[in-house]
Amino acid sequence: MSYIHFPVIAVMGQFLAAFLVAIFGSKSRKASQAITLIASACAFVLVCLLIKPVALDGQIISYWMGNWEPVSGYAIGIGYEMDALGLFFAVLVSFIILMSAIYSLRYLEHDEAVDRYYTLFLMLSGSLLGLVMTGDLFNMFIMIEIMTFSAVGLTAFRNYIPEALEAAMKYLVIGSVGSSMTLAGVALLYAQTHTLNMAQVAAKIGAMQASGGLTPTVVFAFGLMFVGFGIKSFMFPFHTPVADAHPVAPTSFSMVFSTMVIKAGVYGLIRIAYIVFQVMDKSSVQILITAFGCVTMFLGVTMALAQHDFKRLLAFHSISQIGYIITALGLGTALGLTGSLFHVMNHTLFKALLFMCAGAVLHMTGSKNLDELGGLSKKMPHTTICFLIAAFSIAGIPPFNGFASKWMIYQATYEKAVESGNFFYALVTVVAVVVSVLTLASFIKVTMSVFFGQLPEKYKDAKEAPASMLIPMWITAILCLGTGVLYQLVDRTLTAPAVAASLTPANYVDKMMGSGYAASFSVKDAVATAVQHMSYWNPVLWLTLLVIVMLGVFIVILSGDNERGPVLKTKEPVADGKYATFFSGEKYRHSHMGGSDLFWGFKHDMKPYFDFIEEKHSGVLTDYTLWTIVAMAVIVVYTFVFVK
Amino acid sequence: MDATIHSVLSVNYVAAIFLIVLGLYTVVAKTNLIKIILGLSIIDYGINLFIVSTGFNGGTSPQFTLSELFSGQYFVDPVPQALTLTSIVIGACVDAMALALVIAIYKRYKTVDATEIRRLHG
Amino acid sequence: MVQNMLMNLLHIFIFPGLLFVTVIGVLMTGIDRKLVARMQKRVGPPIVQGFYDFFKLMGKESIVPEAANKPAFLAAPIIGYVSLVVMVLFIPMFSFSVYSGTADMIVLIYLLTIPGVALIVGGTASGNPYAGVGASREMVAMIGYELPLILSVLAVCRKVGGSAMTFSLNEIVNWQAANGCALFQWALIPAALAFLLVIPGEVGTQPFDVAEAETEILEGPLIEYSGAPLAMFKLNTALKMFIMPAMFVALFLGGVHTGNVVLDVVLFILLTGLVSFITMTVPHAIAARFKVERLFKFYWTLVAALGLVSLVLVWFGL
Repeated sequence: MSYIHFPVIAVMGQFLAAFLVAIFGSKSRKASQAITLIASACAFVLVCLLIKPVALDGQIISYWMGNWEPVSGYAIGIGYEMDALGLFFAVLVSFIILMSAIYSLRYLEHDEAVDRYYTLFLMLSGSLLGLVMTGDLFNMFIMIEIMTFSAVGLTAFRNYIPEALEAAMKYLVIGSVGSSMTLAGVALLYAQTHTLNMAQVAAKIGAMQASGGLTPTVVFAFGLMFVGFGIKSFMFPFHTPVADAHPVAPTSFSMVFSTMVIKAGVYGLIRIAYIVFQVMDKSSVQILITAFGCVTMFLGVTMALAQHDFKRLLAFHSISQIGYIITALGLGTALGLTGSLFHVMNHTLFKALLFMCAGAVLHMTGSKNLDELGGLSKKMPHTTICFLIAAFSIAGIPPFNGFASKWMIYQATYEKAVESGNFFYALVTVVAVVVSVLTLASFIKVTMSVFFGQLPEKYKDAKEAPASMLIPMWITAILCLGTGVLYQLVDRTLTAPAVAASLTPANYVDKMMGSGYAASFSVKDAVATAVQHMSYWNPVLWLTLLVIVMLGVFIVILSGDNERGPVLKTKEPVADGKYATFFSGEKYRHSHMGGSDLFWGFKHDMKPYFDFIEEKHSGVLTDYTLWTIVAMAVIVVYTFVFVK
Repeated sequence: MDATIHSVLSVNYVAAIFLIVLGLYTVVAKTNLIKIILGLSIIDYGINLFIVSTGFNGGTSPQFTLSELFSGQYFVDPVPQALTLTSIVIGACVDAMALALVIAIYKRYKTVDATEIRRLHG
Repeated sequence: MVQNMLMNLLHIFIFPGLLFVTVIGVLMTGIDRKLVARMQKRVGPPIVQGFYDFFKLMGKESIVPEAANKPAFLAAPIIGYVSLVVMVLFIPMFSFSVYSGTADMIVLIYLLTIPGVALIVGGTASGNPYAGVGASREMVAMIGYELPLILSVLAVCRKVGGSAMTFSLNEIVNWQAANGCALFQWALIPAALAFLLVIPGEVGTQPFDVAEAETEILEGPLIEYSGAPLAMFKLNTALKMFIMPAMFVALFLGGVHTGNVVLDVVLFILLTGLVSFITMTVPHAIAARFKVERLFKFYWTLVAALGLVSLVLVWFGL
């Protein structure tokens, strides 16, 4: 069958598998696991088969449900349209779902009612795939709702932990407010354009922009939808549910939540800003999005430095990286969007890896308190290496993938600053670099307090994570390194077509409604400026240099005589002898540095700031909703005043 | 005809906005979790009223058999009605899930006051 | 082709790569110690003392404690050393440069973080709490000096680039050859001052050596090191002592073009030595060590303000 049917099969397959798990899974854990694995693998294969036609050849697959084609220029059916941007996200979604399914095989072994987990998990996966493939506004809203429900259900899955219920409640309330605002935006758009198909709406708005400017209804709709998708992507004042939900959710869900559920909001933002509303060339919108992204970056990383809980710290880092992504996509340039999409992919990879390592530690030791853990690198060597790879990726150390995407983002912001003459963007560059250093600091702290240092007594018997948890970790780690070194290949295959697709709404409209439609409505075809970016940085060259020099050093070291005593290590007890830890004459005792005692100088100097933000994150639901509503009001007023 | 439509719709729209704002206020200002859930529902009802009102243009209801169809027939837009039905269902799902969570929270925390349910903070 | 490869290998390993920068770096530490001693009315060690120390340490036994993570413990100094050697290949010595990319500045700044990270990873891998404290202080110092470093580099790049973008050190040097040294543009003087203050923090000499505070935390991250890895770490410091002033000379004093390449290189090395004297030797001799929170405050208020002033001035066309 031709590949046109693949998107729909992928989505429907997941929902069907969810039903099958609900029917057959309650008796046998193995049945539910098998169905989940098969369904995720099928979705991944189907999506990967689509890479060639959609991304490399530039086709856009349009599929009308039930064959309700448009009649006399009016879309009357629900349309699924898959362009390179949607494919980019779909590849990431299906990959992470597959990794999470493999990871959860052993991770959930102590939990009961696992079939309900897998049902919700498959519903989540189906809704995520449907979200990125749909071409209809209301269908997008429905998929977001299914995603929210599944995510809330999975957060509260371990309902013997009271905090899980609390986190799920907060997520539900704030997420519902967001969905309601999205629905209000969709209703307003329908009232104005009388159609729900995104391509047709894009055409009508394009005509509106060409002939005089946006009507107040459309501006209001943009503001509301921006707020709605902002809540879903957990930007600055809306970020609180993420921080609460991550520590208590099972890790195999945390990794999907932190990577793809948040990215669904980002995808929505890109879709509405670039394709549907086509407002990204207005500098007021650019400043709005970039400003929110900038504050999100900084706030996320500083809150992360103050945490005691491993997974809560990772959650705040997620927020900070989403800040990077939103900043880069708010710039409105081709390079910015490329950097943003590349960072989406890299963040997916290294954040999933980080959560998998955290889950492995939690599973084997039962603790995620940074002050208690320590010295686990001896007991869990594989986890340590994977964690180090992920930590170097997120900190942006060459040659891992975080470096490539962060560099693109710095270059994009600086270019925008130079090109527009606006000093604000230069400050954004500086903030981005400082946040990068603070991210490095935070991960040094975590590595120190969890993997290095001294091993406490009660974790003496910790073992390495089981193989089914290690396999997805290693696959993701190798991909982290691979996409960093071979980023040009990735760029050519996945990112550049996605950027091209989002900058040319005319193609999108044409494929859906018939060619020539866009021209008749004079939809602007955004000029994709030549992305002359990282041709300067050839990672292969740098790696070669590094390897050559290292070889030289090793030759010198190994050519020395060995009789001066090679490096020794024995099994003597650590309290005594020359292999003991050096305490300058004091008695040996376990004096492990708790994670929160590090970086004292930094915390001391920034004490007013830290006290302020820790007090503001009070944990009370009504405080968080107050921020949400205030931010919503600010954004709506801003769009009314400035976006014409 | 247009003037009556206009006045009918204005009442609808004002009521919808009022309900939404009332719902938002409830979610922010009330600390009892059940009241917060009620606030969420009120926001949903306001939006539903809004959606249905966008379809009104003075015609008849869009229910007829195929043999009654003739060209030039004047009926209200059926799409918003479909959207509203879906949205009502979603609102019901949100309420059900939220209330289930509240029951479970009450069993563990022994309170439904939002200011006391704050073990995750900082 | 073969000659090209041989030339490349010569550049990487002899000049200005591994051998040259190691020898110069160790010599500079020796000169630094001698001058500090003289300023403090002592005799001080001979100038080649660094080489004696290096060969002595290479001959000692290297003990890896039981609680340490052996791979990270042993690999850390090598990674730091290698990245420093790669970095020096990209600094143009007036008219002589080995490799030049079009955007090396950002890569250089990133590569500069690697030796610091190597010190931290090596320290934490030791499993010693003193090393943990030292590593965390080093991290705080790194956070401190990255901000003014970025600000001053951005100011220079903007000044040189005008309305285009430039991040290439070669372009900066060429611009200075045409328009006079960057140090003499009065909008860039605060940036130069900021960079001068960042140099000793980055290298880790007194009074900014909060990481290896001997009297406070017993050498900090290096406490469990001995033998060859310790020698490599000392080499790292020596290399940084050459590289950081070299970056300053290339960025701010790069406009010298006598006709002769050899004379250029010699002049470059002399200027590097002069900058090193001003920023590292003199404060070493006269100042006491900073407390870690005062160091952080110093960098993020005073020095960052200097960089920001320069960036604003350059931005608005002055």
